[in-house]
Amino acid sequence: MTTPLEGIPAELVTAELGAGSVHLRVDSQLYPLGAIYAAAYVFLDRCFVLLDRPDERNIRVTLAPKKAGADETILRTFVGEFSNELLSAAWRRQIAQDNRAVIEMVTSQAISAAMGPPSLDDLASFDFGDESFEDPLGIAMSWEEKYKKKDKPDADGTPDPEGKP
Amino acid sequence: MTELRLHRELYAGTAVDAAVKVYARFAAFELVEEASHWIVRVSSKNAARETQVARELANYALGTTIRERGGVQ
Repeated sequence: MTTPLEGIPAELVTAELGAGSVHLRVDSQLYPLGAIYAAAYVFLDRCFVLLDRPDERNIRVTLAPKKAGADETILRTFVGEFSNELLSAAWRRQIAQDNRAVIEMVTSQAISAAMGPPSLDDLASFDFGDESFEDPLGIAMSWEEKYKKKDKPDADGTPDPEGKP
Repeated sequence: MTELRLHRELYAGTAVDAAVKVYARFAAFELVEEASHWIVRVSSKNAARETQVARELANYALGTTIRERGGVQ
């Protein structure tokens, strides 16, 4: 016989006190399966965990603590801990997904750096073309090139080629 | 007899097979495939042992599935 746990919506969590287990209904549109797996994995050493899909949208998680004699308080604690773990796993996955491009770039740079300096063959095949790249702020220019004194024009308006006053 | 219904989208068939092999010496098993579930029937002379083996088997199958699918990140 299933009973709701006090303070937790009955449509989300029900307990079977006789069997010492609790059922959680998890919306798989809010929590991806990977996050549910990650949270379930954390509890495998403390609980018997059973997953089921009662309908297309929801996944039912059944937790039964391995230690005998789980009462309502213990079951409520497990529900809270599982919910926290589930949220944490979902958020970690979201962060990993958002930063996937950066992670891949850093990893590929680290791997290429670990390969050591380029060989003569690499240099031979390297493209040393003269194509200029855009440098609107002049970052690639040398200090002298960027701040050298400009030639003052003569009285007639033509600049002195040697730069003398 | 205890019947375990493991959803095919959530449990890998190879993981269920592996779990049954691990626990084969503790109880008798019958495997049935349904469209949506893997059905594992566990039989033992001792009812308490039967429940215990079924639960341990489900845990083992879930853990193996998660590791196979790279679910822990």
